[in-house]
Formats: sequence, structure tokens, C-alpha cells
Amino acid sequence: MPTAPDRILIIEDDPEIAEAVASEVRGLGCSATIATTLPEGIALAAQDFRVIVLDRMLPGGDGVEAIAKMRALGAGAMILVLSALGRAANRVEGLEKGADDYLPKPFEPEELRARLRALLRRATMQGQDNDLLVFGPLEIRMKARTVHINRAHVAVSPKEFELISYFAQNAGQIVTRMQLLENVWHLHFDPGTNVVDVHVGRLRRKLEEAGSHAIQTARGEGYVFAPLAAV
Amino acid sequence: MKARFTLKLAAFMAMAVSLLSLLAMGLQYRLVETRLTEATTAALNADLAGYAALYQQRRIIALRQAINDRASTGAELLLLQDRNHTRLAGSETAWPPAITPQGSDFSTNAVQRFHHQGSDWLGVARILPGGFPLLVARSLTPVEATLASLRKGMAALGGVLLAAGAVVGSLAAKSVMTRIARINNLADQVANGDLTARIPGPSSPDEFGLLETHVHAMLDRIENLNRATHRLSDTIAHELRTPLNRMVQKLAQIEGQPELTAQLKAEMRNAIRVFDSLLDISRAEADQGGGGLLPVDLSAVVAEVWDLYEPLAEDKGLICTLNCAPDLQILGDRNLIAQMLSNLIDNAIKYCAQGDSLSLTLQTSGPQHCLILADSGPGLPADLRDAAFERFTRAPRDQERGIKGHGLGLALVRAIAARHGAKLSLPEVDAGLTVEILWPKL
Repeated sequence: MPTAPDRILIIEDDPEIAEAVASEVRGLGCSATIATTLPEGIALAAQDFRVIVLDRMLPGGDGVEAIAKMRALGAGAMILVLSALGRAANRVEGLEKGADDYLPKPFEPEELRARLRALLRRATMQGQDNDLLVFGPLEIRMKARTVHINRAHVAVSPKEFELISYFAQNAGQIVTRMQLLENVWHLHFDPGTNVVDVHVGRLRRKLEEAGSHAIQTARGEGYVFAPLAAV
Repeated sequence: MKARFTLKLAAFMAMAVSLLSLLAMGLQYRLVETRLTEATTAALNADLAGYAALYQQRRIIALRQAINDRASTGAELLLLQDRNHTRLAGSETAWPPAITPQGSDFSTNAVQRFHHQGSDWLGVARILPGGFPLLVARSLTPVEATLASLRKGMAALGGVLLAAGAVVGSLAAKSVMTRIARINNLADQVANGDLTARIPGPSSPDEFGLLETHVHAMLDRIENLNRATHRLSDTIAHELRTPLNRMVQKLAQIEGQPELTAQLKAEMRNAIRVFDSLLDISRAEADQGGGGLLPVDLSAVVAEVWDLYEPLAEDKGLICTLNCAPDLQILGDRNLIAQMLSNLIDNAIKYCAQGDSLSLTLQTSGPQHCLILADSGPGLPADLRDAAFERFTRAPRDQERGIKGHGLGLALVRAIAARHGAKLSLPEVDAGLTVEILWPKL
């Protein structure tokens, strides 16, 4: 049964970047609409878009300042700010002002894809409250904060539990190091060293010792949590 | 706050005015006193001249007659006695003990001032030829009465002047204080980080109004500069990152050279980190002492960042210890604090080798929270200690050993500490590097 593709609005004044974003959007099987000024974007935002990709330094103003206005006008889409204002302070400001995610320019195409997928998934998963996440032999109990593989308990630290929960929410998709740092550690700066790798490595070893190869390295940019594919 | 200075000034003015007035009145008093005494002396002289003329004609008999005629007025003291000090004529029965006769003529020499029966007198006492004592004196009571009322008037006026000075002074101090309080309030608001604060209402056309205008002009300028700084950093970010963005897009189109493209991406990421650090440093410096800070659980941030880095340190073979007192609150920016701790811990891990120890301690000491990060690594070269927190400071040995860095990490740490009003120091230790940060308590 053919369904209409998810629509994504891109508010971006640089045609080259807008086109690059649009091609990633189409790559995800969504349809892209491009607005090149802020007023135009605000006018379009109330339509049934799933995600809005929003630039900041736009003709007509700062995109982040317009988020509240878009929401007031009925925009229900997830908002991903994609901006050259990429310092930690800018990111925190954007998230505080209502953005659902914030990706600084220059961005890797893989990173953008990962963020868009996560947002599309969040849009559908909202409101669901599963206590038990089951991926074949791997079970995650959200309230008890425990992990079981083949019915055997796997001891994980609180941080490792948050890590595997975030992986589970994005199962089957590439999750980047930056996403992990932002969502699991709530840090919005680039620490330079790949501290995240050490944590993922530890969790991964624990899961492997218990017989699950759920976490795999995705070539290039991050990790994939694919417990069913990797039996 | 009391208007101490203005009050002092007003009190000084009131005292000065009162003193000057009293001085002027004092001079006037002296003048009046002299004139009145002179008038009394002149009257006395006239009396003496009259008696002299009578004495010339008929000696004691005429004198006795004249004194008897005048003795009843009360304003004069007259007495003529015979050789045996028996009264011949005059208002007194006996010779007043306060005055002794001098000379024997009617000249105006040797005028004496004396006290008799409760009042002051001005007079001459003689023993006339043949042994007749004579006393002629005029009362100084009217003079004294005039001077006394003059003194009373002066005292009253002085009191009124002081009271008026006090009232005017405190009113002036109060009004000056209200005006100054407006400017002080503004300064407080600005110090708390609100650069847009201004004194409401029109400024009055006086020196305080002028001061307000000047302060406003100054704040406008600071606000513009600050805005320009922020705009400049935004512009730098935009102008740097937009072309880099295009480069990344184009790199994605290059196929068959994954290593080279990965290296290029890493270089770009590095360049962005340097610029971000520089912009973060100048932003933290520009916001220094300003507002915008929120209550932050320092213990929680310390524990989180430690938790992030501990596995990395353990994997490198470091012996890690965390000693963190719970629930220590400060006013801060969580993200900046995390960035600062991350820089410090990352630095320590970078320089330490297998077997070194790394410990982080957070505890309350007096009015501050004390954070100490100590490692047993190589420490800082002695000649670098003072410059360690300057931008782009790098130890030559690092460059030789190929340890990467830009010398911005510690500069950012210092800027973030200053942004929070925290005191950053490097205590002298036997081995390794110890960084101490004292945070003001919330």
C-alpha cells in the first residue's frame, strides 16, 4: 500500500547547502521543500512536515528566535537546527529555545542522516512507554534499569544502561559519537579525544561476553545497534 | 547606605557659616562695649568738670551743696567726707571698700572701675586738699544690661544658624542621596550583567542629569562594543564554517581515497576546534563578572565529567581516585564547567604515563568550594608555570615529542574560571601537576 512520503521542510539561504540537505532528505525516502528566507519558512512551517531543518543566520532573522513563533502558528514538526553557529554555547541556546536537535556546520552527510532518522523515529515513538524492550535474546527493562541476555543478567553501570537505552531507541540505525555525547552525557562540546569510544567499547565487551554482538562499528561515523541482524 | 560625605560637607558648611556670623557679631559686640564705656567715661568727665568749677569758687561748701542736690538720682555714686571720714554729702553713708583714693585734683586721670553693692561702677576717688575724701562714680549697669541682651541675642542667633544648617544639610544630603542612589542602582544592574539597564525618566538639567547622561552614553558604547564582539564571533563562525561545509560536501564526492578524505576531515575539525576555543575564550572573557549564571550542582557536573573520562584514564593505566562531596552548589554555566573539567582531565591523561596517579577532589573549604585535580605526571616545565594559562603557550618538549595541541586548553580553563569568579592556581608540588580552583559558594 503506497503511502505519501514524509515531508521535510528545509529553511536555508545557501542554495548549495540547501540542495545538499535536500538530497540527504530524498535519500531517506522523504520529500524536501526548500524555503530560502525566514518569513517564507515561518509561513510554510504550519503545514504537515515531520521535520524542519532550520538555519540560523537567515535573511529575515535568526531561525532559533523564530521557533516559538512557528510553534505558536501550529508547527508540530521536530526541529533540527543546522547552523554555522556551532559553538557549545550556541547549541545549548538553540536547544533551550525549543530546537529538538542542533547540528553545527560543517556537517558530515552521515551525521545529518543519523540526526534526521532519529528525529523521524522520535516523532513516531512519542507517547509510547514500553517498560520492556526485547530484541531477540536481548532484553532491556527500563524501570528496573537492567539488561538481560539469554535470560542472564548483565551487570552494567548506570551510564552504560543509559547508553544501551539510547542505542535501543535508535535500533538499526547509525548513531554518531556526537549524538551519544549529547544525548547520553548531555555535553555539547567536542572533547577532541574519542572518550565515547572507550565507553561503547566497555559496554560492547560486556554484551559480547554474554553472547550478544548487538553493537557494531559503522564505517566512518559511529555505531549501529543491530541485535537481531547480528545473531 | 548613609550619605556620610554629603552630611559631613553640609555640617562643615553650617559650622563655617555659624562661626563667621558669630565672629562678625563678636566684633560688633566689642565695638558697642567700647562706645558705651566711652560714653560713661565722658559723662563722668563732665561731672568732674562741673564739680571742679564749683570747688574753684567756694571750695568744700559749694561741693557739699552740689552733691546734696544731685545725690538722689541712683545712676551716680557720690560721697564727700571730712577729715575724720564723716559723711558731709552724698548717696553713700560709708566709703566703699572696693576703691581707694588717688590724687587730689579734679583731673580725669586714674579712672577706676569697681564693684559695689552688686553692680559695676566707673569713678574717681580723691582726697581734696585739707583731707576731704571725695568719690564721684557713674553706674555701668545700663551698659552691662545692653551688653547682656546683646550676648543673649548672639547665642540665640548662633543656635538658630546651627539648627538651620542641620536641617538644610540633612535635606540636601537626602536629595543628593536619592540622585546618587539612582546611578548606584544602575551600576548594580549593569554589574549583574544587564547592559541594557538605564535610568528611567528624563534626566534633570543639572550636574546629576549631566552625570546620568554621561553614564548612559558610556553604557551605550559598552553595549555596542559588546554586541559588535558577539556579532563578530558569529560572523567569523559563519564565514569560516560555510566554506568548510562546502568542502565537506565535495569531499563526500571523492571516491577511492578514504584515508586522505578522513585526514582532511580531521584537519578541518581541528581548525574548527581552534576557532571555537578562541571564540569561547573571548566570549567567556567578555561575559566575565556578568550575569546569566544559574544554580548548578557542581558535585554532579564533576561526577559526570569524571565518569566520562575515568575509563579512558584506566585504559591508559592510570590509578584514578575521585573524592567528591555531594550537593555543592554554585552559580554557573553547566556546559562551560563541563568543558573546563574536560580540558583539565584530558590534559592530565594526555601527559601522564602508565602507573601515574590521577585524583580529583571536590570539598568545601571555608566560604568556597575547593576543586583539586592532581596528577603524578611530568608536571609543567619551571619556565612555563607563569605562562601556562596564556593563549598558544606550548612546551617545546611537547612539540619535540609530537604531543598535539594548540595551547588553548588551559587558556579556556582560565577564562571559564574567571567567568565564574573562581580562583585558579597551580600550587607548588613535589611531583606532577596540581590545579586548584576555588569556587564561590552559592
